[in-house]
Amino acid sequence: MAMEITQILLAAQSQDGQIRSSAEGNLKQFQEQSLPHFLLALSIELSNDQKPPESRRLAGIVLKNSLDAKDSIRKENLSQQWISVDPAIKFQIKESLLRTLGSSVSEARRTSSQVIAKVAAIEIPRREWQELIGNLLNNMTQQDAPSLKQATLEALGYVCEEIAPEDLEQDQVNAVLTAVVQGMSQMEHSFEVRLAAVKALYNALDFAQTNFQNELERNYIMKIVCETAVSKELEIRQAALECLVSIASTYYEILEAYMQSLFNLTASAVRGDEEPVALQAIEFWSTICDEEIAIQDEFEESSNGSSCPNFHFVEKALPLLVPMLLETLLKQEEEQDQDDGIWNLSMAGGTCLGLVARTVGDGVVPLVMPFVEGNIAKTDWRSREAATFAFGSILEGPSVEKLAPLVQAGLDFLLNAMRDQNTHVKDTTAWTIGRIFELLHSPISSYPVITSENLPRIMSVLLDSSRDAPNVSEKVCGAIYFLAQGYEAPGSTSSLLTPYLGDLISALLYSADRADTNNSRLRASSYETLNEVVRCSNVPETINIIAQLLLEILKRLGQTLELQIVSSDDREKQSDLQALLCGALQVIIQKLSSSNAKSIILQSADQMMAVLLQVFACHSSSVHEEAMLAIGSLAYATGSEFEKYMPEFYKYLEMGLQNFEEYHVCSISVGVVGDICRALDKNVLQFCDGIMSALLKDLSNPMLNRAVKPPIFSCFGDIALAIGELFQKYVPYVIPMLQGAAELCSHLDDSDEDMLDYGDQLRRCIFEAYSGILQGFKGSKAELMMPYASHLLQFTEAVFRDKNRDEGVTRAAIAAMGDLANTLGPNTKVLFKDCTFHVDFLVECLQSEDDQLKETATWTQGMISQVLVS
Amino acid sequence: MADEELSPTLPHRRDAIKSSVHNIAANRRRQHAIAVGKERREALIRTKRLCRDSLADDSEVPLEGHMIIDEEKAVLDSKTSRTVEELKSAMTYQGKGAIQKKVEILRALRRLLSQSEVPPIKAALQAGAVPALVQCLSFGSTDEQLLEAAWCLTNIAAGEPEETKSLMPALPLLIAHIGEKSATAVAEQCAWALGNVAGEGEELRNILLAQGALLPLARLMLSNKGSPTRTAAWALSNLIKGPDSRAANELIRIDGVLDSITQHLQKADDELATEVAWVVVYLSALSEKAISLLVKSDAAQLLVARLVASESLQLLIPVLRSLGNLVAGSSYMIDSVLMSGHNITDQLLSGLIKCLKSEHRVLKKEAAWALSNIAAGTCEHKKLIFSSEATSLLMHLLSSAPFDIRKEAAYTIGNICVTTEKDAEQPCIIVTHLVSLVNKGCLPGFINLVRSADLESARLGLQFLELVMRGMPNGEGPKLVEREDGIDAMERFQFHENEEMRNMANGLVDKYFGEDYGLDS
Repeated sequence: MAMEITQILLAAQSQDGQIRSSAEGNLKQFQEQSLPHFLLALSIELSNDQKPPESRRLAGIVLKNSLDAKDSIRKENLSQQWISVDPAIKFQIKESLLRTLGSSVSEARRTSSQVIAKVAAIEIPRREWQELIGNLLNNMTQQDAPSLKQATLEALGYVCEEIAPEDLEQDQVNAVLTAVVQGMSQMEHSFEVRLAAVKALYNALDFAQTNFQNELERNYIMKIVCETAVSKELEIRQAALECLVSIASTYYEILEAYMQSLFNLTASAVRGDEEPVALQAIEFWSTICDEEIAIQDEFEESSNGSSCPNFHFVEKALPLLVPMLLETLLKQEEEQDQDDGIWNLSMAGGTCLGLVARTVGDGVVPLVMPFVEGNIAKTDWRSREAATFAFGSILEGPSVEKLAPLVQAGLDFLLNAMRDQNTHVKDTTAWTIGRIFELLHSPISSYPVITSENLPRIMSVLLDSSRDAPNVSEKVCGAIYFLAQGYEAPGSTSSLLTPYLGDLISALLYSADRADTNNSRLRASSYETLNEVVRCSNVPETINIIAQLLLEILKRLGQTLELQIVSSDDREKQSDLQALLCGALQVIIQKLSSSNAKSIILQSADQMMAVLLQVFACHSSSVHEEAMLAIGSLAYATGSEFEKYMPEFYKYLEMGLQNFEEYHVCSISVGVVGDICRALDKNVLQFCDGIMSALLKDLSNPMLNRAVKPPIFSCFGDIALAIGELFQKYVPYVIPMLQGAAELCSHLDDSDEDMLDYGDQLRRCIFEAYSGILQGFKGSKAELMMPYASHLLQFTEAVFRDKNRDEGVTRAAIAAMGDLANTLGPNTKVLFKDCTFHVDFLVECLQSEDDQLKETATWTQGMISQVLVS
Repeated sequence: MADEELSPTLPHRRDAIKSSVHNIAANRRRQHAIAVGKERREALIRTKRLCRDSLADDSEVPLEGHMIIDEEKAVLDSKTSRTVEELKSAMTYQGKGAIQKKVEILRALRRLLSQSEVPPIKAALQAGAVPALVQCLSFGSTDEQLLEAAWCLTNIAAGEPEETKSLMPALPLLIAHIGEKSATAVAEQCAWALGNVAGEGEELRNILLAQGALLPLARLMLSNKGSPTRTAAWALSNLIKGPDSRAANELIRIDGVLDSITQHLQKADDELATEVAWVVVYLSALSEKAISLLVKSDAAQLLVARLVASESLQLLIPVLRSLGNLVAGSSYMIDSVLMSGHNITDQLLSGLIKCLKSEHRVLKKEAAWALSNIAAGTCEHKKLIFSSEATSLLMHLLSSAPFDIRKEAAYTIGNICVTTEKDAEQPCIIVTHLVSLVNKGCLPGFINLVRSADLESARLGLQFLELVMRGMPNGEGPKLVEREDGIDAMERFQFHENEEMRNMANGLVDKYFGEDYGLDS
């Protein structure tokens, strides 16, 4: 039985909104009534060459979206749904998909190959659909079926992209690689087949570990890839170079034998090939740099050297590589500075040169400086820009001793070049000055770049140039940003900047307001630079200026409320501007609250709060993220005074906590709860029921991004610390959540970096929650936690046994253990006696280099030993 | 529904080296804002961890008349603050020689803190010395560092009560370092610091006890390490001072403590014996259990031996007080240990006589008190005292000693003259004793007591007058009393606010000097 759904699928794409939504309703109804038949109908629709391409296309999309989603929880649900479909129907669907690979309609073939990969992603790791690879490879032996072969290769590529190397048997991998490499190499194949084969290889490379260990197989693969990289078709050459980039990153350790030919290949691509190919050739070298930088970092960090040998390919190729890259710098595009995301030969070459400098350090300098000196004064703007760009690119990596004399000698030249006739030159010059400040400017350096002698001139040039073309002005913001930041270095004082603070702020406010550009970059850079200038300024001498700025920012924020909003575009612009202004507000509040100038905040608190509440009010659908951050700072700064704002603010806080779709907003709101707890202390109690139920709801919401969950746990700790024993009533809800999350930590996929990070965060925050609750209960309600003590210790032990945990987890764990002993006292004697891991754990922590960890561990040791002698 | 396109993923492209500042800046700013929240959380919980009770501060009362030393003091203070700052920055320094540097700074700080009459404790505290010193006590630190840090803390603990209290964050570590694994010198120094803290007051004692200081200190006292043992005993005596008796009860129950006490009393030099005797003082003052164990052990005999043999005032005081406590607290002591004819009894008596003769007020008082308790014992005891040299010494003390000693002497004399028979309404008078003592002139001393503002003394005086008037043969008593202005002394109580005293005095006057008085003479 298969229902006819062509008409509904077509209607779902109708121009007429009513028809469309009714069709969408029908599809949804069908889906809910019988998912298996719905999926089957879609697959049949996709496979039927008699059907219109539009309905087949949508059938493919709906099918794919029924199998996979970006959100991991939804994705897991979809997988489970698919798994539970009747095997007979699944078989029919898969047959239908495989059949579609032979369709005469190319879009149907491609869609089908992608859907096949989605099914494979679910089934193959479960050791199901094991015949898929065989079926696909069988397609490759068909005579005269170029489109089937193309679709099959695409399917193989997508399958490899979806599954993990361990999901395939080695003989399957061998067969796939053979088929793919044959698809690449046989010249009788059409362009489409060969392109599909190269792209499939790109995805299959991760599976070829064993094959790359075998010299014969490796030689063969490398030979074919290199040959393919000089095919006559551009797209194939580009795809082959992408393969080489991937090989450089995955198989760095076997490259040595091929390096000479790879250098020749990439050099001629950079010099003579078309841009997409040349960009990949540069990318190859950038990737080699990445690898060698990683090896060097690993070598420096660990005492037993790095796991991979460093072949110093970059250093060996340096005399040829650097000139090649310098040439690319001269291939600028006109107007390239107007676009932030520009990626062309010059940009890729400069980026690669920067990586080369980080890889080899001083060695790059003598190879680059003649180019800089030879070109920087030429009449042709491209030469001057390339020379400046080259200089700016090599500022990170070489030693200060090597760079400082060059910078000291060249800074004045660069300052003069801010009056160049050419905007590109000025743009790159301002960027280079910014890089100098970022990397070399520190008042405590033995090679100071900025001195009290040259500061006036630097400031005057920067202030003048901030009124230059918008793109130049924006780079000047960058220079000011790093100039201010450099003065924040520990042990120094930013008072040298104080005389310029007023002018800097005016200049930045001016550039933020410029109407001669509709590019939002300048505005954003101006405000962010303003923030950094404020953050690094030296209080108390700048307090008056900052207080004035606060009023100005409040005024501007007030003005955004008056903006006329007719379109969603207007709304977005208003929101963006409010974000920048709230950001500035937050920085100012933070600055003033960390000084003795709190009175200024208290004076303006009513006004700030009124404006922020209006900002919230003018976005009915969501809560403004930056406004929320500003509120957090304000709450902390005003302390118990903040209570009077709570009645009005509370609804926005609750909205923020409930906004699981925009998880950033949710996460920041959770953080603000913490700020409010610290501000109101016991008085936060009146809001706790609402806050706690929102938080608990969030935790059990599968749609909420998991990143928010750890902060929620920490937030429980904040609340418990604030309200102390009154947290008692939430314990029955909170502890099971903590225990569940602790349980989850032991099941996380430890091959996935992101998951590992997440696990660390989760564990740290679980401990923070326990710490807050334990410390909150200390004294009066300690016994309430007794039933959970043993579980907490077990969890701590599991964490201790995991040697991959990060320091933050260690610190939180050792602290929570101390809190347990501290709060529960002699009651825990038996527990601590029964488990001995705490001794080893403490020893480990006490030997740490981290003072804070040592301090905490010492405290914990004291607490436990008290318990043990009790 | 067609929103989501089918598009193959594009290969990742790296970020250009030349990029706009606002991208990184906005991210950094947001991360910074979030990091600040985390820091504040950590700071808050750290203070919660380290402070069980809020540390009261700023109770300074500006003192006048200290102008001359102010300048010197300011120099010392600023030196101290600087040293603490140096210490703090040395704590973060990890490089070569870091450990030696820390020790040097600690030593300098310790010297500053022990320098003048008014050590710059306050300056050190304001500069944040305690957290830094606590950090210096971290496990794994060198012994030298531990020693110096504990020494600094000891000096701080010797300061004003509020200054002592500031040591609270350091207590867990100080306690931890008196454990067996610590170097002897470190353990001793920590015990010293803890002793100072315990000496400050009941509140801190309770905190120390809650943190488990008792057991490790007791263990340290059990060890035979000389000076550390002594310091531990001293610290223990401070710790169990009470008034709560729990600590004393706990201490005596610790295995080996009693044996260790007797052993030290037997073998130790005067200094150690002194500190151990102080431990016995508080044990015997606060713990019934301790008394019953002590009297049955050799402790009593050993204390008596010390009393006889030693000339050290420091030792005699606690020995004497301990003996007094034991006699007062346990009938076993009187009934079974200090039996007439036992060597120990004679020894004790001669020891007490020695003390009554001593120049030292405290010894005289403690000896009189101990004697009064013995005098409260059996007739044998009373006879023994009565027939000893003690009587005349007591008579002398009653007439000329300071008030508090006089009272103790009076108790003793009173006790010598009566026996408390079961069910008797009034104490029976030992007439021979009474007559002899009255004849030797003790009556004026008691009449003086009647005039005393101290009710207890007054009662004691009245009771003795009653004995005299009732017990002196031939009705001589009232006459003797009248002759010494006793009526006047008693009539002071005619309208006294204390009912018992009023009734007692009026009753005596009525009974012996009522309407019938003088008719038959």
